Order: sequence, then structure tokens, then C-alpha cells
Amino acid sequence: MEEKQLIEKAQNGDKKALAELVKNYEQTIYNFAFKICRDKNYAEQIMQETFYSMVKSLHQFDYNSKLSTWLYRIVANHCLMMARKVRSRPFVSFDDDEENLFEEKYAADWNTIPYKVAENEELKNILDNAIQNLSPDYRLVFLLRDVEGLSTEETAQVTELSIPAVKSRLHRARAFLRKEINQAFT
Amino acid sequence: MKKEKITCKEVMKHVCESLGENLNDDKCVEIRNHLDSCPNCREYFKSVEITIECYRKYNVQMPEEAHDRLMKMLGLED
Repeated sequence: MEEKQLIEKAQNGDKKALAELVKNYEQTIYNFAFKICRDKNYAEQIMQETFYSMVKSLHQFDYNSKLSTWLYRIVANHCLMMARKVRSRPFVSFDDDEENLFEEKYAADWNTIPYKVAENEELKNILDNAIQNLSPDYRLVFLLRDVEGLSTEETAQVTELSIPAVKSRLHRARAFLRKEINQAFT
Repeated sequence: MKKEKITCKEVMKHVCESLGENLNDDKCVEIRNHLDSCPNCREYFKSVEITIECYRKYNVQMPEEAHDRLMKMLGLED
């Protein structure tokens, strides 16, 4: 059944259709929540809150955006609320030292790095640590645009930022994360 | 007035700003020309792409029990 039909049925109280929609998106939402908060327990809690919000307000969904974009907006809000609640470390500030983001030293061999992601716990720790030094607002933009593959316009829609603000956060996040990984391997 | 030659730092900034954007303006052409002739900036460009790829590849599988707990909480168990 097509997604539009599922949504219409779910909006009219069909529990099977609603369950189908939840199943279609649960892995994406769980994974995304994990990528923002880097913690499996928080990821599950955020996923539950996201789908609870979805069930409560699905009748308001009006097809002005894709369902996935609508869900990203809900999960993003829950992630930001969670991040504010459990904040445990200071985040990097880009106010004064943006120039330092663009350094010209290189790790020995970048080519070997991506092949280590799946099985290398050390690299996972480096990726976790690097992204957790970014404030959640920057994480959100980087993950939506670069990792989930939303367009700049969709990312702006989800985060309720202007397009120039999305681009500004994105380029700082990219440069910062690249620098952190580079330093970890140098 | 003679146009200043683009610097490596400008190229790096532009790479971070515009990666993934489909831009064909003069600035992008200039950047592409610079990348063709500057191994350092090419390396930088590649390392930004690899950074993104690392985060794309780092995924977690939702546990089966988390699915069960979710459906139960929503009252949607099979």
C-alpha cells in the first residue's frame, strides 16, 4: 500500500495502517536519535516520544511536506529537549576562532579511515567524542543534511532556520569534525 | 584592478560551505581549477568527504525488544 493511503487510513483510526507507518520509520528514527545523543537508552526514549507525538498529531498532517520531513521535525525537537536536559559537557564555541578550523596539516592516510568504521571501536569513540563537542543545534544540521541526505531547503524546514543559517552551521560543523578526526589520527 | 588569486584557506572554507551543492557559478569554477592544481586542497576536499562518509556509515540497529516496547506503549501490538 502506498504511504499516502496508509496515512489516510491511519488518520481515520485504522490501527493496522498506523502500525505499518510506525514500522516503516522506527529504525530511521531510532538511528537518527542515536546519532544526535550517542546513547542507546536515550535513543529509545526519544523514539518513543517521537511516535507518541506522531500518533497524537497525525490528524494535523496536511501533506505540505513529506511524512519523513515531518517526522524529522518531531524527532529533532525531542532530541534538542533531551540534550538540554542531560547536558554533561561544554560545547565548542565558534565565535572567536573560526579561522582555526581550516588548518593545513593532514593525518597520515585518510584513505584507510572509512574502512575502519564498522569494526573499529577506537574510531567509533573518536566519532562519538568529536560530534558530542558540537552543540546539538550544529549536530542536527550536519546529520540532517550530510548524513540523512535532506536538501538544504528541507533541513531549513525541519530546523526552522534560514537557508544561510543552515549553510553557516553546516560548514562549521564539517570543518570542526574533520579537524577533530584529523587530530585524532595525527 | 587585478583580481587577487584565491588562497588555500578560501578554498577550504568554500569546500566546507558548498560540498553537495550543485553550484556552477564563477567562484565554483575557480575553486575547481584550484583543486586541480593544488594537492593540499584536494587532500582537504577528500578528507571532508571522508568525514561525512564515516558518520554515514556509523549506524546502530534498533533492538527487537525496543520495537516490542514501542508498539506496546502505543497500543499497537500484533
